[in-house]
Amino acid sequence: MSSSPVPSGTAFAAEASLRPRRRRPFSLAGALRGSVPYWLILPVVGTIAAILGYPLYWLVKLSFQRYGLFELIQHKGVGVGWANFRSVLHDSIFWDTLVRTVIFTVANVGLTMVLGTLIALLLVQVSSVVRVLLTAGLVLVWSMPPVVAVQVWLWMTNYENGVLNYILTKLRFGNYFQHDWYASTFSQLGLVTALIVWGAIPFVVVTVYAGLAQVPQELVEAAEIDGARPWRVFKDVTMPILKPIFLILTSLSIIWDFGVFTQPFLLIGQSRIDTSNYLMGIYLFEKGYFESDFGRGAAISILMLLIVAILSVVYVRRMVRIEAVE
Amino acid sequence: MKARIVASLALVAALTVAVSTATARTDGPARSSASKITVWLQVDAQTGWPDLVASTNQAFQQAHPGANVDVQYQTWGDHLGKFDATLAGGSTPDVIEMGNTEMTKYMAAGAFASLSADRSSFANSKNWLAGLTASASYNGKLYGVPYYAGSRVVTYRTDLYKKVHAKAPKSLAQFTGIAKKLRARNGKKSFSPVYIAGTDWYFAMSFVYDYGGTIATFSHGKWHGALTSSKARAGLAAYQRFFGTASRASKTGTEDRPQPYDVYAQGQAASIVGPAWFSCCVGAKYKGVTGQFVMPGHKAGQSMPGFLGGSDLAVPNGSNDKALAKDWIRIFTNTASERTLQAKGNIPNATNLLGNSVNERAAKRSWFVPTAKHWVDVENGNVLRTMLARILTGKDSIKEATSSASDNISLTLNRP
Repeated sequence: MSSSPVPSGTAFAAEASLRPRRRRPFSLAGALRGSVPYWLILPVVGTIAAILGYPLYWLVKLSFQRYGLFELIQHKGVGVGWANFRSVLHDSIFWDTLVRTVIFTVANVGLTMVLGTLIALLLVQVSSVVRVLLTAGLVLVWSMPPVVAVQVWLWMTNYENGVLNYILTKLRFGNYFQHDWYASTFSQLGLVTALIVWGAIPFVVVTVYAGLAQVPQELVEAAEIDGARPWRVFKDVTMPILKPIFLILTSLSIIWDFGVFTQPFLLIGQSRIDTSNYLMGIYLFEKGYFESDFGRGAAISILMLLIVAILSVVYVRRMVRIEAVE
Repeated sequence: MKARIVASLALVAALTVAVSTATARTDGPARSSASKITVWLQVDAQTGWPDLVASTNQAFQQAHPGANVDVQYQTWGDHLGKFDATLAGGSTPDVIEMGNTEMTKYMAAGAFASLSADRSSFANSKNWLAGLTASASYNGKLYGVPYYAGSRVVTYRTDLYKKVHAKAPKSLAQFTGIAKKLRARNGKKSFSPVYIAGTDWYFAMSFVYDYGGTIATFSHGKWHGALTSSKARAGLAAYQRFFGTASRASKTGTEDRPQPYDVYAQGQAASIVGPAWFSCCVGAKYKGVTGQFVMPGHKAGQSMPGFLGGSDLAVPNGSNDKALAKDWIRIFTNTASERTLQAKGNIPNATNLLGNSVNERAAKRSWFVPTAKHWVDVENGNVLRTMLARILTGKDSIKEATSSASDNISLTLNRP
């Protein structure tokens, strides 16, 4: 591993192209042996197809139907072609929500990744006692179910006797007596961001820390001997090695944060949610379930799926291209 | 290379989490067999009158030996979502309690069996409360049996009122005066003479109706949002003034977080507005010094119209045994049952049972939401709450806020 300074991806490609192609005569035993991997993967593919494929088929079918409460009771939808998609795309609330959600996702993923990486780097530096304490704390955060976490945050930000208002006032940050943390959209989504980042950091820290343990120490030392400063070492030695990890973590975070529902819905609270603080997940829920317009809800979720796919593809391609250039 | 392994391990861990959350939601209602009926009641029955539910089940089983009743308690927040799921799955409950504002949408969609032919077999059906009967009727047919009603009153601390030499007020102006005096006597900044959650639209709309306004009107086959009328705006201005004088509650807060009676029990309020059953939970410390009165209107001697809340019991079309379901409802709403509900502080479902409690007196002047199929969407969309929050926080003037809310209401109610 450490013997080759060439990024492993390129090494593989080079190897494959150099290998001479040999043609063996066809034999049944050989074909069977060759098909073993496919047989091994078949149960997984079959299960995934059954679990994801069937609901997906229904989702697509639903999105082309008028399917409200009346149709739900009749167990029969009415085909309406592209009408659901048209009505969603002509809804200004959809576009407002989309812009808000993209900004929200960028802020959340950015904060999660930056803070998570910083804490992981800190973990490498501290003594083992501190490291164990810190890791234990992070795992506790990770193991807390979102619904419980929301209750704790609600309690802390309570208007009447919240501990946050009390501490901020005591620390003389200003008069936070009866400060309403849910009064403006910015404040509401800010709290949701804090909650989500807080909950997502442990996963990033633990994963990046595991990755950091794999960075060959001799490379770092060599760079340091050549006079590289810590930032340069991180940028040119650590980052390239950790790139696959960042790639997967960022993609997953985008997928999670773009469609997030539990935290904003419970923290902002059903009775405070309106068009001014919709995120995509909530927009989908309000239109699909609360208004019992399941066909339109299906159309929204397909659009969401496409948007996340596009976002992820753009990001993955960018990362892969950087890797290829290097 | 190892970084890739770490990355794939991370992916596996993440997928495991995703799968475990996905599989956590597989519980559904059990399909009822013919000799068993499933009843969905709200948790109010579980906390308030579980003995009535138990005795009803007992009487039901005596009348139908071998038949079982499975009472499942629901919460207001998510029972409609769960009901929708059972409609899709074809395993609906046999009896469901519906809020009177929730009925119309489901009656219009054909979710409930008609009870018109059985009406006379239910106790006191000739004298059912008009408001509740209207909420359970659609296109001239009856789809629900009135269960009970509840009105909104003021619950207050008699000791604090005595200190400022005040009695139950007879007009809004008098009440405002008392609130000022209470505020002057209690220096604590978080203390509310009358605790009102800012977006308590049930209370705020009472001001609108008291000043002669209304939420929406129906004419020429269409709904028209009516909060832009000068009367409605005058009502909202009065609400804003009263809130400013009397309440230290969050301007964007709701009447269920925190519960007003909890604020009261902590000694942070001299009075609270809400359902009459709030007297249940004022805390042991103030139990002896708690009274209730009917909210006074802006005209002296006249009470303010209060929202008439209530519940109906309906039989979903998907029920396997409608006859048993109806029979269960018959027992649960007979005169003896309604008397029990009345003793718990509710308004019984028929005029001939009405007494003279503060709750029942408050019900004499009441208002109800527009009986439109999509009204529930206005409620769930928080149109009125948003309007109130914007008015109270000063983000919008009353004129701006009512215009946008009214447009929104017209649009929603006229949706096909």
